Amino acid sequence: MASHPVVVIGAGPAGLTAAYELGKNSSSSLILEAGKQVGGISQTVNYRDFRFDIGGHRFFSKMPMVTELWNEILGDNFLLRPRISRIHYNQHFFDYPLKATNALAGLGVVEALLVCFSYAKVKVFPNGQEENFEQWVINRFGYRLYQIFFKTYTEKVWGISCTEISADWAAQRIKNLSLKEAVRNALFGQRGGKKGEIVTSLIEQFHYPRLGPGMMWERCEELVAGFGSQTLKGMKVERIRHRHGRVDCVSARASSGEHLEFEGSDFVSTMPLRELIEAMDPQPPEKVVEAALGLRYRDYLTVVLVVNREDVFPDNWIYIHSPEVKMGRIQNYKNWSPYMVPDPSRTSLGLEYFLWDKDDEWTWSNERLIEFGTRECAQLGLINPREVEDGTVVRMEKAYPVYDHHYQDYVQTIRQYLETFSNFQTIGRNGLHRYNNQDHSMVTGVYAARNIMGESQHDVWAVNTEKAYHEENRTTSGNGGDRMVPVRVQVSGDELPKENEEELIEIVFAKLDPVAMGVAVGTISGLLILIGTVILVLKGGPVVGPNLSLLGNFLFGFQVTWGGSLIGFLEGGVGGFAIGYSGASLRNWSMKAYAKFIRWREEVNRRRNLLD
Amino acid sequence: METDSKGDEELSRVVAKIQGGVLAVVCGLMGGLGLFIMTVWLLLEGGPKVGSHLQLLSNFFIGYSVTWKGSLVGLFYGALTGGILGWAIGFIYNRVVGIRYR
Repeated sequence: MASHPVVVIGAGPAGLTAAYELGKNSSSSLILEAGKQVGGISQTVNYRDFRFDIGGHRFFSKMPMVTELWNEILGDNFLLRPRISRIHYNQHFFDYPLKATNALAGLGVVEALLVCFSYAKVKVFPNGQEENFEQWVINRFGYRLYQIFFKTYTEKVWGISCTEISADWAAQRIKNLSLKEAVRNALFGQRGGKKGEIVTSLIEQFHYPRLGPGMMWERCEELVAGFGSQTLKGMKVERIRHRHGRVDCVSARASSGEHLEFEGSDFVSTMPLRELIEAMDPQPPEKVVEAALGLRYRDYLTVVLVVNREDVFPDNWIYIHSPEVKMGRIQNYKNWSPYMVPDPSRTSLGLEYFLWDKDDEWTWSNERLIEFGTRECAQLGLINPREVEDGTVVRMEKAYPVYDHHYQDYVQTIRQYLETFSNFQTIGRNGLHRYNNQDHSMVTGVYAARNIMGESQHDVWAVNTEKAYHEENRTTSGNGGDRMVPVRVQVSGDELPKENEEELIEIVFAKLDPVAMGVAVGTISGLLILIGTVILVLKGGPVVGPNLSLLGNFLFGFQVTWGGSLIGFLEGGVGGFAIGYSGASLRNWSMKAYAKFIRWREEVNRRRNLLD
Repeated sequence: METDSKGDEELSRVVAKIQGGVLAVVCGLMGGLGLFIMTVWLLLEGGPKVGSHLQLLSNFFIGYSVTWKGSLVGLFYGALTGGILGWAIGFIYNRVVGIRYR
């Protein structure tokens, strides 16, 4: 039995990042990967020098920690690529992210009118409940737009009715957008490029490794090996043996059929929770096993067609909403990177199908799937079947954790059980049963490594749920996540570091104190009237201050006399206070209204990207 | 209302201090240029009794009149008064804020 300090199960982004972080801190690890290739769902498959992804992977992250890691690992091997994506529906192409004018123009006059009526109706009579995806989207787009642009595609991807999908899935993309975050994005842009630079538009371009995302993870594997760690491929973990709240070893079956056991002091797993619980030895309590069996996963299958044509379409990918075909999305890999094809006169298309492993198509032969995909592609008017020269099929099990109505309870039960182990952590998309992007998975890997090193205790389950984690390295104030804590009022001053965006926003949007402003303006107003009146009284004359005395029309009892000067001081002071108080309040209200407008605008933008 | 209270906390945790010097300069410029432009405007308009009402400011600003020379005197007085008022508002405001959030 081999013994290692840390055993990592899975060589996807989460597992390899954990091993990389450990390696940087002089801690070697053993990585057990069930597949033949590293990268998990972020791998790049090579078929006769045609490279393709398991779904497209844009490299964009709001977390500086991740962009730094990308740079460390892949250096200058990134391309900045334009993003073009559209929706195919009813023999029409619609821009995606959705643009109102383009969408309405493509739908025709009658349908456009119906869409507008439907939108207006939901704005006047919104659905009181937002428990499922359908209700969530209808409340924001209206029923008809939901039917055209969301229902068919979402049901193709998830294989269940939109009423069965939890609203969390949609809300995850825009929740936690605070006023301050929205304002910061508007003022400073969003940091998200591979160098952490400010990206003003998430929509138009993205970074992408020259040879696909797999290049990142193959390079990471090399770097990890340089730290003294080892990656064993084709090693499927079948048993995780534990006792007294600690995992002792894992038992794996090699592709040769040989059974091997690996001991370690710490264990990190990226296995799907369902498989993980099944592998625990001894078995967990009944309710934990039941919870694990209740979790569902969507499987993914891509049919790659090599087409003898230089340009098939300009998009990186097209969402296929048309219900007459089973295909959900189609990728054009050479538009992601020209290096993805060996011959520029050829195009490789990835026809993506989202399936359950019990679906017939999952077990079809590659030849049958290629023929089926070719036919569907031709049906959509994208290619001529005679142009297809070659093809292959890649299947990826458990690509998407399903967010149904029960998953949260199940995950909570499993989490409580797993947290009883002192040397075992679960990370990554399937390890947490969360629809994480690559960057979120990487952060869970970093946190798991840091927990092992005893640097600090990070909650990997909180990644992609709490604002504090999204804002890593930038949040300087209380990061209690959703929990509100009392924060002492500060008074702005020169001592605040202005280079800090957070602080700068605090200063710019600092609240004026209405009472203080009222007192200041009131005092000055009162004094002005007092001094003006006294000057005129002292000057004297036959008629003292005939013009200033007109103030008596507004200030009850005011005259240009000694007594009147005091009345003017008091009443002018009160009037000035009212003006100062209202002015400051109005200014505060305007700033907040402006910030809310910015947030609303950004939320609308995010909703337009809901399908990504 | 929960959203509102969250919004309040996010954007209003800091109470603004007023830079008295800056407010003095702003108010001074507005006061000086304001009085200068008003005087010049009335002079350009002309008429039998030029600026009879604005002329009343001479009760407070010694030497001011609605004339070309007076416009420069008004520029000075307007700037001085505006500057003092601006600074005074900033000073009082900051003092009150200091007391209230001590």
